[in-house]
Amino acid sequence: MSDRKSDELEHVDNALTDRRKFLRNGVAAVGSVATGAAGSAVAAEPLAIPQTNKMLGRPVVHAPYGLPSKFESKVLRRNVEWLTPDATASISFTPLQDLHGIITPAGLHFERYHSGAVDVDPEAHRLVIHGMCERPMQFTMDDLRRMPSHTAVHFLECPANGAMEWRGVQMDSVQFTHGMASCSEFTGVKLSTLMEYCGVSADSTWFYAEGADGSGLQRSIPLPGARDQNGNPLTEFDQNEIHKDVLIAYAMNGEALRPENGYPLRLVVPGCEANMSIKYLRRMKFTNKPLVTYQETRHYTEVTDDGRIRQFTLVNEANSVITYPCPDKHMSGKGFYEIRGLAWSGRGYIKGVDVSTDGGKTWREAELVQPVMNKCFTRFKIPFDWQGDEHLIMSRAHDDSGYVQPTLKQLRDARGTNTIYHKNSIQTWRIEQSGEVKNVQINNA
Amino acid sequence: MFKSTMLKLSYLRRAFLACAVLFGSMTQAEPMTGLGKPITDAELVNWDISVFFDGEGLPDGSGTLEQGEAIWGTKCAMCHGDFGEGVRGYPKMMGADLEEFQETAINNGFNVENRGLNNMWAHAPTLYDMIRRAMPYFLPQSLSADESYAITGYTLYLAEIIEDDVELIDADFLRNLEMPAANLFYTDTRPDVQNTRCMTDCFEGELDVTGKLVQGDFSGGNE
Ligand code: HEC
Repeated sequence: MSDRKSDELEHVDNALTDRRKFLRNGVAAVGSVATGAAGSAVAAEPLAIPQTNKMLGRPVVHAPYGLPSKFESKVLRRNVEWLTPDATASISFTPLQDLHGIITPAGLHFERYHSGAVDVDPEAHRLVIHGMCERPMQFTMDDLRRMPSHTAVHFLECPANGAMEWRGVQMDSVQFTHGMASCSEFTGVKLSTLMEYCGVSADSTWFYAEGADGSGLQRSIPLPGARDQNGNPLTEFDQNEIHKDVLIAYAMNGEALRPENGYPLRLVVPGCEANMSIKYLRRMKFTNKPLVTYQETRHYTEVTDDGRIRQFTLVNEANSVITYPCPDKHMSGKGFYEIRGLAWSGRGYIKGVDVSTDGGKTWREAELVQPVMNKCFTRFKIPFDWQGDEHLIMSRAHDDSGYVQPTLKQLRDARGTNTIYHKNSIQTWRIEQSGEVKNVQINNA
Repeated sequence: MFKSTMLKLSYLRRAFLACAVLFGSMTQAEPMTGLGKPITDAELVNWDISVFFDGEGLPDGSGTLEQGEAIWGTKCAMCHGDFGEGVRGYPKMMGADLEEFQETAINNGFNVENRGLNNMWAHAPTLYDMIRRAMPYFLPQSLSADESYAITGYTLYLAEIIEDDVELIDADFLRNLEMPAANLFYTDTRPDVQNTRCMTDCFEGELDVTGKLVQGDFSGGNE
């Protein structure tokens, strides 16, 4: 027993000596690199031992559900107070400028409520499936979790992402120009599993979904053969592709959905405007016509410059944005940078992203970071040597349908400036000589 | 000798894995039993209150404009204004008349704040559905079917879609009422732009670049 103790002590002693040696060597090495880089012979002060090396840290389960570092306290969802009259019928934005990779931490997922977030009791919650099916059913959360499960990573994007920018630059911030988009791993039951189980009729061309919150939000989702209320067919893609990826999700990024994201159950309609991904999902009814809800006439429709109103604009077309550098993350000195950004397409896979640093006169193909997945954020990157000059930097995504992300001029020419939704145009940032980065628009190209 | 055993083992392992995959898909084919409970329409009377654009789903009942006016004063006006003009940024009932609405859209004037029941709502039954399920905002699903008819009628009156001589608002009335904007709607035509992947010499001349023009004075309403 006492032998073992002295053994352990010796171990600790050795470790301390090793650490001292390491620190000495480490400091010497860092010092030589630093003077080498600066090209000066003046010896730098040795680095101090970090305070955290000389203390005992916090015990386990100090934070039973962990939080980010206190030094990251500015990485937050934010809202724009003047945008909506009421914070319960409002939106908050994801800080894309602070995120890496493709997954949005659940606590930073953008929020959009029509009547505030609610706490739905999972024990009492039921999902009802009825309408044009042989076996109308109600399911408990336990029933749903027992069913064959499906996991996939998808982005969710409010179609109003960028809406403030149609008529000119409004927000010097990528959080506010593009932060109504987030990307998560969802787990739940595939729509097709539930349709089969309930025996949905082949004649059903739509279903609608309804939430258990104060807005009782409802959206119609097309199935093969879907026609609008006037008998006109939806696009081939809308009829035949959207439903294939739909999932009824109870988990997000490995944990149960959070209340902000529809706990305990939500619809996920990948690739489509996120308003369709009904939160607090309690009912799905299979039909042969769209409901044409409040959301589908008054909102989420586009007043085009022919004086008409375009409806069922469901898919979020290919989009991309440079998240570094950006107005929220300025340049910090001359030299090497990696331009980084996110691209996504509601029609499928991102095939490539081109980046320009001269306002779109020339473009270079960026590297796509694996994994590249269906209807999912795709990270791109490209090296950039900044020598203090002014640059107009921009990214242009294209997807496996052949669609190339348009310019703002192309969108304005096609639609006018009153459509609010689906502004997926190429975003331009201006790097100024000061190193500041500003949001700008190119109006003639 | 030793090597060949290893090879054999790895071969066996692969064969076993293949079996497992096969088995995996076989278990998938197990019938899904014991999940969920059948449900009848009778059990859904409180839940299935959705009203289709064509009026399917409108409940029995009716209301008058006088009844609607009384509800408006106590439960709606604090946000939407005495005359439905919208206060403190809450939505208005009557937007610009159709001519002005379309003109601002065609000329790229600012038409986002001009929207209301008379220019963005295609079908009157949808209005009934929305009010009954979501208004008054602080107490959704508190209005009876009759009250919902009365107040739906009153909002239509505030938006000058109907006159004050309408005697009774019921399912038939809403089903047959043509909304002013009914014929403005058309279904998605995208992709409506076709960009190309130009890589060099993509633009000649001066770029017209604008930065931030205005700050904080844009109200997107409730979009
Ligand atoms: C506490 C404020 C408040 C009260 C009271 C209220 N509403 Fe609303 N109303 C809202 C908000 C917020 C919205 C927008 C909701 C959204 O985001 O979709 C809205 C939207 C509406 C709309 C859609 C208008 C449009 O075209 O944009 C109608 C119609 C409506 N309310 C009717 C009513 C009626 C009828 C009552 C009374 C029974 C009522 N409201 C009471 C806050 C209120």
